[in-house]
Amino acid sequence: MDTISNMLYGFQVVLTFQNILFVFIGVLAGTLIGMLPGLGPISAIAIMIPLSYGMDPASALILMAGVYYGAVFGGSTSSILLNAPGISGTVATSFDGYPLAKQGMAGKALAIAAISSFAGGTVSVVALMLVAPLMASFAVSFGPTEYFALMLLGLTAIASLSEGSTVKALISATIGLIIATIGVDQQTGTQRFTFGSPNLLEGIDFLIIALGLFALAEVCSLILSRKSKMMGGNTNVGSLKITKKEAKDISGPIARHSVLGFILGVLPGAGATIASFMSYITEKKISKDPSSFGKGNIKGLAAPETSNNAATSGAFVPLLTLGIPGSGTTAVLLGALLVVGVQPGPLMLTDHPDVFWGVIASMYLGNIFLLVLNLPLIPFIARILYIPKALLISLVIIFCMIGVYGVSFSTFDLYLLLAFGIIGFIMRLINFPAAPLILAFILGGMMEQSFRQALTISNGSYMTFFDSTVTVVLLVLSVLSLTLPFIKSKLSKKKEEEEKEHLAS
Amino acid sequence: MLASVERKVALFLFVFSFAYLVFTFNLPPFPYAIVDADALPKGLGFLLAALSILLFIQNPVHDRKKSNMKKDEVLMLLAVAGLIFVYILLFELLGFVVVTILFLLVTSRLLGYTKWKSLIAVAVGFTLVLYFSFNYLLQIYLPQGILPF
Repeated sequence: MDTISNMLYGFQVVLTFQNILFVFIGVLAGTLIGMLPGLGPISAIAIMIPLSYGMDPASALILMAGVYYGAVFGGSTSSILLNAPGISGTVATSFDGYPLAKQGMAGKALAIAAISSFAGGTVSVVALMLVAPLMASFAVSFGPTEYFALMLLGLTAIASLSEGSTVKALISATIGLIIATIGVDQQTGTQRFTFGSPNLLEGIDFLIIALGLFALAEVCSLILSRKSKMMGGNTNVGSLKITKKEAKDISGPIARHSVLGFILGVLPGAGATIASFMSYITEKKISKDPSSFGKGNIKGLAAPETSNNAATSGAFVPLLTLGIPGSGTTAVLLGALLVVGVQPGPLMLTDHPDVFWGVIASMYLGNIFLLVLNLPLIPFIARILYIPKALLISLVIIFCMIGVYGVSFSTFDLYLLLAFGIIGFIMRLINFPAAPLILAFILGGMMEQSFRQALTISNGSYMTFFDSTVTVVLLVLSVLSLTLPFIKSKLSKKKEEEEKEHLAS
Repeated sequence: MLASVERKVALFLFVFSFAYLVFTFNLPPFPYAIVDADALPKGLGFLLAALSILLFIQNPVHDRKKSNMKKDEVLMLLAVAGLIFVYILLFELLGFVVVTILFLLVTSRLLGYTKWKSLIAVAVGFTLVLYFSFNYLLQIYLPQGILPF
């Protein structure tokens, strides 16, 4: 079997002292940052990026991927203990996790969350390992028109699936694309929107935007909520034990939602948040006893936890095989990869098999580390929730500053970072989603390149976009995805009802 | 007519897209390109203008949570932004170690952290650990400034 020998090769890459250490650092940092309410996975990855400068690409991606799925894993802890989700992907976890904790079964809830996360993560890594090579071999034949259509689909999908108004999300995406046009044009050498400043010749670095729009903007929210204590005086989480019957009860949801989560993760625009909500809703629908959901039903906890972790690995399929991220978080991962000099895509399997198989193998290991970190050690790790916010805020600001200064060594970029932090906070205030902006910004350069390549090959004829079936299908899907908001508004009404019920209980 | 924030934002975006379009039409042409450097920016400018009109018409006030920020909270945010600005201003001048320690002390105190002993310990310890690990382990050189190391 090819896959088996490839996996063995992957483990060869991972099982060096250095890379094991990076997996560990990654998942630990991810767990800790993900646990802090307010700081999400994008901030976690962006803050950790400076560490990867100068690393070899495989180690860098192993570290960053660990931060990503570690953050999704860790986010559940604060959902359960505080009812304050660490990240948006674990909001659904709090519906049944927090009631369990209130009933004095926090330990049990944490254990169920950890086991479901582990199962979801592991099953989806197996799926990733099997699906990714197929996808890559299919994508090898893609030309510029296919890529352009694919990226367009990614953007329209994220715009229509993001919270709130689709027009606002589309505006965010357009602004992201506009920011991407700053700098010297790659094909003609024309200076665009640099206003004569040498600092803008190479465009704006993605790290400035990621740290500004996410980490600094999240710092602003932390400042506003600094007076509310993160945690009461109680670290006692109770017993972590799960009975045999409970194990049997959650095995069904785990099996169902690791598959569902993975599929939703692969699709552009969906990701962990949507996957966890979908899983929660379906699990409730098929349950014999739907009224117990929201009151501490362990199935309602296992379903979203399995699903969000499965979606996380699923999101690696388009990232690794097509080189096209489907979400804001994977967009930042792509940016981190480009910094260390690897262009993911169908050729990565042949050009950088160490990165490709290494990162997949590292996820098996990372999930085991996470299980160990989150089961026996959770009472200790949860202490990070005691760090005074005032101190945390100023430390995060410094991390952002160093991160940006470490790429460019120029204070001009630090001012830009501050500016984007303010923009990010204003966007939050007026409900413009930031994820479409960062995704559009990172895809912008590639989209323009493939668009102009396609037209250059066809000598300016736009009919080239209708020549290939794959392109046409993708373009049709992009248009269709913009009609999704109507379906979504129906779904969100349901979600509101669900939340109302949850609040009422 | 401009009662909602959405409409103000829409108007701002429309003006912005117009200014952007003016710039795109002034980009120097490149004689040998089938699709020149101004093609995509022009499209984006028109797209943004169209979307801002759509936002103005839709005026989706209902999806916004009411923000009830108090005045002193706004002042606090501005103060932290100001501190960051001063931090950047002095960053290369005084060096990473000095400004970072000062920044951590002042900002944490401003935000309401009162335990001086642990604050000083964290500020100094954190800064030095970061400085030495970046300069010596990662070989990313942070500005040395007025200190001899």
